[in-house]
Amino acid sequence: MDDIGNLIGIIQVVFWLLAGGMSFYFSIGNARVWTSISVGFFLIFLSQFYLLAPWADYTRLEAVHYIIGTVAIMVMTHGFQEYYVFSRTLDIGGSKAAVYLGTLGVICVSSVFIFINPEPTYTVLRNIRMIENASWVFLAVINIDLIRKIYVQIRDSVISKGFVAFGIVFFFIFLWKGSELYLQVFCWDNDWHIFATNNGIADTVDLYSDRIAFSLLVNQIGGMLSALSVGGTFIYLYRLLR
Amino acid sequence: MFLLPKGNPLYENIPAAKIKLPEMLEKLKNGSFTGYLNFTFPTSTAILFFEGGKLISALLERGSTRQTGFEAMAGLCNNIMAGGGSLNVYRLSKDLTMGLHALLHGEMLYRGQEVKLIDIKGLLEKVKAQRLNGCLRIYTDERSALIFYKDGSPLGFFHDGTQDIDTSATESQKIAGLPGAKIDVLSTQSADELMDYDLLEMVNIDKLWGSTEARYAAEINQMKRDGQEREIKERESRLKELEDDLKEVASAYLGKMGRTLVEKELGGVGGREALQKEESVITFLAGVEKSAKLLTSLTKLKEMVETMKSEISNRAKA
Repeated sequence: MDDIGNLIGIIQVVFWLLAGGMSFYFSIGNARVWTSISVGFFLIFLSQFYLLAPWADYTRLEAVHYIIGTVAIMVMTHGFQEYYVFSRTLDIGGSKAAVYLGTLGVICVSSVFIFINPEPTYTVLRNIRMIENASWVFLAVINIDLIRKIYVQIRDSVISKGFVAFGIVFFFIFLWKGSELYLQVFCWDNDWHIFATNNGIADTVDLYSDRIAFSLLVNQIGGMLSALSVGGTFIYLYRLLR
Repeated sequence: MFLLPKGNPLYENIPAAKIKLPEMLEKLKNGSFTGYLNFTFPTSTAILFFEGGKLISALLERGSTRQTGFEAMAGLCNNIMAGGGSLNVYRLSKDLTMGLHALLHGEMLYRGQEVKLIDIKGLLEKVKAQRLNGCLRIYTDERSALIFYKDGSPLGFFHDGTQDIDTSATESQKIAGLPGAKIDVLSTQSADELMDYDLLEMVNIDKLWGSTEARYAAEINQMKRDGQEREIKERESRLKELEDDLKEVASAYLGKMGRTLVEKELGGVGGREALQKEESVITFLAGVEKSAKLLTSLTKLKEMVETMKSEISNRAKA
């Protein structure tokens, strides 16, 4: 089961690599608003990349990956907020460089924060991962609402269908991250299981194995569909804006 | 207006608009001019008679309307200001001037009688019997001759090209014999009574001219203002139409946000008036392009901007 899970995880990373590459390429030739959104999606790839890295067991780097994942959704949300403001006021401000440098700055500061503190234990890593998942779940819902509002404003423009696609992307992301958060909140996740087993703590995994299995399935399918839909959305956007 | 003998022409066909009437009348007064000034305007004619520098009469005739004295002078000032007329100045002898004055200001006893249809001999006897002061005018479309009478006795004859009264009736008889010749008979007061009259003393020409000039200047200014206002309104309407069209173009390419985008970017460059300035148009189009990149494809964006450019260059300065 774990092997299948790892394989699916690796497939997801490959999909995110394609989606991240596509979104990063898209950000180069487009306006600043798109930069925030596409950089955010590119960061998802970086946040998932640790699964492939040979230093995956190095906990500080794993923590940094989770933080990058949190930054990813925050940058994306910032981009959608900017687009929403644009759709209401038609004001566009700031530069693309500020987005790149700002994102890099936040990641660096977060990394420094991790490195100046004691090496994260598995429970600390699990906490950081929960924070990441919570951020993703709530900001995905907020982004779906923002996208709805943006769509209402620009529904008769060429780009409007691209936002429908983004709505679908965030729905998949909500399922992907939400299912993982659900498992973590009820201590049904793998990390907690290892921790409980090592410390002789009783868990309820056996009692709720069906819903846990369903949640894992949703998590894996949601993750893959998220990566696929992000890649597809950016290709679609690229064609729309060509 | 009567066809008048030209006498000795001093000036002919001087554009009336170039004349400063008060200065001209002052010159004629100082030069003790005797004769008449004939102003011809597109719809009227004015005759001013001078005798020894005195302006003894002024007549302004417009269609069937005749004005004399102050009214004629005021009308003359108006007509000169209005432009388009010309002036002829003829010097005449004293008696002839008096006779012509009688011709224009006298009472019309007969008008336009066909010479062939009346008893000329009987008419002359009647003139004599009534001791007429006045003038007989015999004329065709081309020529005219005048016979002046004082107390019923002929003073002399006058015809085109002569300066003074002629004693020979030959020319007058020739004209009377021409086909279609007609005769007018006019009576007047005695010449001595008329000589007491000087319009230059009675009418303040300077003031009249000045007020007319001021009124015309005000009218011209008003016309200019009206013209400018009309031009501004037309320009405003043209630019409004252009703005609406730009909104339509933006709406077609960007949806309803296109209209708002055009409004916003126009506001940013100072409103639709700015569409007349090249640098503002560049700023406006750059602003539209920047925002539109977030709403449509590059191909459509390029097409939209080109359409807008073309609309602006064709209509903003038309």
